[in-house]
Amino acid sequence: MSETAEKAVQDFRRRDARDKLLGRTRYTIDRGAAGMLHAALLRSDVPSGRIARLDVSAAARMPGVRAVVTHEDAPGRAGLGIADHPLFATDVVRYCGEPIAAVAAESEAEARAALAAITVDIEPLPAVLDMGASLAEDAPLVHPGWQGYEVLTQGGARGGNVAWEASVDRGDVDAAFARSDVTVVESSFRVGRQNHLSLEPRAVVANYEDGRYHIETSTQVPWTVRNTTATLLGVPASAIRVTVPPVGGGFGLKFDCALEPFAALLARKSGRTVRLVNSREEEMLTCLFRENAEIRIRSAVAPDGSIAGREAVVLMDCGAYGGEQVFLTTMTAHTLGGNYRLGAVRIVSRAVYTNTAPNGAFRACNGVYNTFALERHTDEIAAAIGMAPEAFRFKNVIGDGDLGATGQVFEGDVLAPMLEKMAALRAKDPSPQLTDGRLSGRATTVGTWFVFTGPSAATVNMNADGSATLVTSGVEIGSGSMMQALPQIVAATLGLTPDKVVVRAADTDAAGYDVGVGGGRTTVSLGAASRTAAIEVRTKLLKVASDMLEAAAEDLVIADGRIEIAGAKGSGATIAEVASHGQMRFGPLSGTGSFAAAGTPAMAGCCAGHFIEALDIPVFAVHDCDVAVDPLTGHVEVLAYRVVQDVGRALNPSAIFGQIQGGVVQGLGYALHEEADVGPDGHIRQKSFETYRVPLAGDVVPVAIELHEGAPSIGPLGTKGAGEVPILNVGATVACAVANATGKTVSELPLTPPRVLALLIDEAQAPVFPHIRDRHADNLTAPGR
Amino acid sequence: MTIRLTVNGETREFAAAPMTPLVDVLRDGLHLTGAKPVCREGFCGACMVLVDAVPTVACLTPVALVEGRDIETVEGLTSGESPTPVQAALEEHDAVQCGMCFPGMVVALTHLTTSGTCEPNRAAVKEALVGNVCRCTGYERIVDAALAVMEAGHE
Repeated sequence: MSETAEKAVQDFRRRDARDKLLGRTRYTIDRGAAGMLHAALLRSDVPSGRIARLDVSAAARMPGVRAVVTHEDAPGRAGLGIADHPLFATDVVRYCGEPIAAVAAESEAEARAALAAITVDIEPLPAVLDMGASLAEDAPLVHPGWQGYEVLTQGGARGGNVAWEASVDRGDVDAAFARSDVTVVESSFRVGRQNHLSLEPRAVVANYEDGRYHIETSTQVPWTVRNTTATLLGVPASAIRVTVPPVGGGFGLKFDCALEPFAALLARKSGRTVRLVNSREEEMLTCLFRENAEIRIRSAVAPDGSIAGREAVVLMDCGAYGGEQVFLTTMTAHTLGGNYRLGAVRIVSRAVYTNTAPNGAFRACNGVYNTFALERHTDEIAAAIGMAPEAFRFKNVIGDGDLGATGQVFEGDVLAPMLEKMAALRAKDPSPQLTDGRLSGRATTVGTWFVFTGPSAATVNMNADGSATLVTSGVEIGSGSMMQALPQIVAATLGLTPDKVVVRAADTDAAGYDVGVGGGRTTVSLGAASRTAAIEVRTKLLKVASDMLEAAAEDLVIADGRIEIAGAKGSGATIAEVASHGQMRFGPLSGTGSFAAAGTPAMAGCCAGHFIEALDIPVFAVHDCDVAVDPLTGHVEVLAYRVVQDVGRALNPSAIFGQIQGGVVQGLGYALHEEADVGPDGHIRQKSFETYRVPLAGDVVPVAIELHEGAPSIGPLGTKGAGEVPILNVGATVACAVANATGKTVSELPLTPPRVLALLIDEAQAPVFPHIRDRHADNLTAPGR
Repeated sequence: MTIRLTVNGETREFAAAPMTPLVDVLRDGLHLTGAKPVCREGFCGACMVLVDAVPTVACLTPVALVEGRDIETVEGLTSGESPTPVQAALEEHDAVQCGMCFPGMVVALTHLTTSGTCEPNRAAVKEALVGNVCRCTGYERIVDAALAVMEAGHE
């Protein structure tokens, strides 16, 4: 371990905890100012229709109203991969909840009263509310003009209601399935939507001053907000400044531009500060959910238990606009196509338009349900060939030099030793014996996730008082990365204690571009940029000290707040003295750092439509749980939960344990009771906390955790992201354990008591997807269609 | 109508419609933004305050119903910056993540650890927290902190 890495590892406590506990932290929803206006959105009440008439003139004359805006004020279209999403519905509405107009008034009540005075006539059009309807022959198109949209990223197949399609084709899959000695196993799976339910809703306060917009917002992605707002409003991106107060929960919900452009438009039009906050009902109805998905997977398994061939079709509901799902089609190759060595493989992953609220990103997006499908399928394979599931996994997990689905060559044996660690962890606390008539089940699963690398920037200013200021566009969303990992990395590099590193809250006017806080990337991408910036500062400090101490820079040691001549303790000066001297002689000392994706290669020609063809930093997880299933009620209780997680290097173990406990519990909600779906009227049916059930204190167990360190990583000091992955295989593990307890085929999540009871009495309907064609090739969008 | 409340030990008078939720009066009228309006239907507990020392969801409490009563918010639990035993224990147990639930959680735990109504064991504490949702932490550290406070109180 290098000296810097050693010093970077510590149980450094987050500096924001005290104010959060005292109730003093001011999140975006807590920000207000005298003279501020309150905004509200008129949203569509139908899932599909033509806007025959829209008249806001009466609303504009209502008491207290200061501005009204519609599609005429926002000409642009934005999106990921394809620019398919306008700010307001223009000629048609495509989902219940789609914004049609926005009002700013002196009070929220006056704004809402003005919404009621807007005349809007919508002629209903046929709606496609699920992927089966959307992919049916002659289905109405959600975007009849899809061919005219600007394509922002090349390579994805598109057509009709398929917003984007990513495909993998490596090796001769037909030959593998045609072998006379293989066992063919086929499984189908379905999952619903999951709501992030961050306690702070999406919220924004906007100003327009001196020809520029200042947007203060609850977001994970200040630069996406900046750039997307500019696109939608048709103004230069440089005209927009985004700053971010502490964020009251994100989990991916805030990984996209949301309410900001509405508030910005209203601020400009009214000349006043405008606050816009989603009501809880608006949050529920327009949540950028973890998408509902439908999966078919087939494998041809050789007599020795190796996987000769695999093919899979994954349908992801993107809702009315492509959004994050366009990108996430990429992840299927790495999640459903991950974990195991495959002889030959072909996968198609399609983002499908429906007339429903757009879906988005949610912690380990795509990976959570694909891991559920893959691990349940794996257990079905093991059963079909008469092999123990643990033995099958040991034999087949990806190891050093193995090829991934896209032909990426993996480095290091990681999953196999992690499985061994899990066996040891389980042995410490063996499965309990049930004597109360409940059925017991246990399962171990593996999962593959990644770090979303990509551009980040950092500046470190060395202050003459011996403190350093780290300036990035990183956001503190609760994980603590901005409070712990980043100052720890900078401090260890500069020989300081982390409390001496001030971390600037995100401000796009102060720091360079950043992809955002999500995808496990903060410690890795922002951390790498911060470390580079700190190294530049260290080099400068050593040069100044070399002049001051009349010693060669390479003979100097920087540690414990001092710079000393090696081997002569007390010979040098404090870092404050050196920084102060340097500031007087050369001007203030600072350093900058940048980071970008490494661009790890895939095998040439085997994937199409992927935003990421190979993983720069794979992250692996092994989970294990014990469940008890009540045969009379179908209630599932999780009795014990265990995690072995690949973290590269754990900079702050307490913070990582906190992320694992929290992530696993979010996963237990997904596995057992969290489900959102679309009713026949096109509305999301779960409109409140009453109907959307998240885990409570009484539902959870303390997770037994072992961190696996030392796997290869290009992250700074060998780190990997640790906050996103804990949710990855929870649905999978609980599902496999319930299948083992009941002896039934588990094909759907969440495992609510009615669903489990239906399994127990053999009344569960296996998922049937007529819109997934039998022949793999028939699920591919023909080129040029 | 004119409403008179005692908030954090001080008598305050202001005009509000009688059905105005207490949480809005506290936040918009008195700038006490500790209590968070999250679900506005009494499920999440993020707006919890003490009304005559009883934990109460401020979102479902019309201000007219607490006329003349004694309201204590998270801001009123401390004087200055020194944390209460509950706040200190939560900090010590590294329990905080996004922090949105903690003002209500602190209010609930303050009552739970001082009222003698909750047995000092895991199951009882978890049951008592049924009205407080946390989306980040997975609860166990919050329970550990509560038990530590209760155990210290019994010494």
